[in-house]
Amino acid sequence: MTRPYVPWLLLALALALAAVYLFPLYWMYVTSLKSGSEIFANPPTFWPVDPDLSIYPSVWFRRTMQTFMWNSVLIASGVTAITVLLGTGCAYVLARYRSGWIDFGLFMILMLQVLPASVMITPLFVGFNQLGLLNYPRTAVVLAAAAKAMPFFVVLVRATFMSVPRELEEAALVDGNSRIGAFFNIVLPLARNGILVCAILTFMSSFGEYIYSKSIIQDGSMQPASVGLSGFLGPNSSDWNSIMAYSAIYVTPILAVFVLLQRRIVSGLTSGALK
Amino acid sequence: MARIFNSMRDGVGFDLILVGAAMVFLLALAGLPLVYNVLMSFQQVDMFTLGDLFRPLAGFSNYVAVVNAPEFWLVTKNTLIFVFASMAGQFVLGFSLALFFAQKFPGAATIRGLFLVSWVMPGLVVGAIWSWILAGDFGVLNTILKSMGIIQAPIFWKSDPNFSIWAVIIANIWLGLAFNMLLLSVGLAAIPRDLYEAAELDGANAFQRFWTITLPMMRSTIGAVLSLGLIGTLQQFDLFPALTEGGPANTSNVAGYWAWQMSFKLYDFAKGATISVMMFVLVLIASIVYVRSTRHEVRG
Repeated sequence: MTRPYVPWLLLALALALAAVYLFPLYWMYVTSLKSGSEIFANPPTFWPVDPDLSIYPSVWFRRTMQTFMWNSVLIASGVTAITVLLGTGCAYVLARYRSGWIDFGLFMILMLQVLPASVMITPLFVGFNQLGLLNYPRTAVVLAAAAKAMPFFVVLVRATFMSVPRELEEAALVDGNSRIGAFFNIVLPLARNGILVCAILTFMSSFGEYIYSKSIIQDGSMQPASVGLSGFLGPNSSDWNSIMAYSAIYVTPILAVFVLLQRRIVSGLTSGALK
Repeated sequence: MARIFNSMRDGVGFDLILVGAAMVFLLALAGLPLVYNVLMSFQQVDMFTLGDLFRPLAGFSNYVAVVNAPEFWLVTKNTLIFVFASMAGQFVLGFSLALFFAQKFPGAATIRGLFLVSWVMPGLVVGAIWSWILAGDFGVLNTILKSMGIIQAPIFWKSDPNFSIWAVIIANIWLGLAFNMLLLSVGLAAIPRDLYEAAELDGANAFQRFWTITLPMMRSTIGAVLSLGLIGTLQQFDLFPALTEGGPANTSNVAGYWAWQMSFKLYDFAKGATISVMMFVLVLIASIVYVRSTRHEVRG
């Protein structure tokens, strides 16, 4: 009954939809390659007349991106480390038992997942100020952002632990393993892939963290790349090819990792967030 | 002592440590600040008392001042427009795309996965790109709309008070669309195929099948996706500083960004805390809906 050409028509339509959806990304790269006068051409050119790659090194040095990117990596690594260390164990326990207390804990975590950063930043800033943590601004941002990232991580990793068969862990206990031994030798290796994908997601989202860093870190040499970008971005900005070059340098690593791991990330997300 | 140590290694103590460490961390950095926020909203906070815990009490005067602020109703209206327009756009477009990608054709899953790149992009970068696309004089969106004959004169998306909030909404729909689509696709894939075959044999057309099979079977998924959309939209912050900074004249300001402006632009932490508390009540309602709609999954 189905005509043989229908799937190919659908494929063409799908490609067209993806092209429309991904146009903003294309526009970022194309604009970054245009010259200062070409970006203001009317009508705009959809392919740069004279692609100029030298803007990337020049923006990198002019905007001291090395410092900004390094701070972003530091902050994202710190957030990921805390989230994985504390969140994995929590997710394991929440997946292992079923009782009123566990339901209550899950409920608390779901509620925390919901808190907007813009609500949390005022009390966090004043509290950190009283504790003297503002003298270590990057640490303060790592702590705040880890608390923000952990609930989502726990919900996703819990789904991974649910898919590890209980019988394997019980068999290890019968064979004389302690709880710690069974956890590290049996359960963790089986859940490794899921935890890894969630850790990468945590890293990517905290790599783009903005509001906490903007509010807490005043010293320019400690700010991450998102705050560095906001420094020359506003309602009246005009230096568009530099802004787009900066953005391209900033997101290309994330995009590369995403495209490489696309399949894993999508399946990890779908198994956890909704089943 | 030995018993406690033993239980930590090989009993309930092990579980308690694992769950306790995370819970203590979250309570210290999310629970306590929340309580502290409520406390601050009833205090007088200024530069001299910023370092104290017990400041002069202010009663409800912060709340009165916030509600009487000239921009209060404008910000409330903007928040509602922003939330509902973003959710509606993300959901309708996301559902249409999910239905389209549920068809069988080569590469469907891979192309659908590509849409998710928007979800991993830093919000500030997305804001920067859309800020350039939506620019009034040299923005590419105006050029495209003009060449299609939809508009005659360029729209100044970011600086026209009638359009500024819509500039942020467009960017936010783009940002959240893929996640909506992904979750709805999962829901669609879970519907048994034979239901459709049976309906087709009974002579139901495509619209009837959608209305009587797809929608009822997707009820809990739709509930979860809508409440996640509401939560995500209320959490949206990065697009505002990148696109409009709440301007012109607060026409694109929403509660979250207003609270931040109070605290970190005007250094009025008490009012910032007050707006945050008000917003938190809104988020609480959203999260109760969300938890209820994922309840069956939590018990899992």
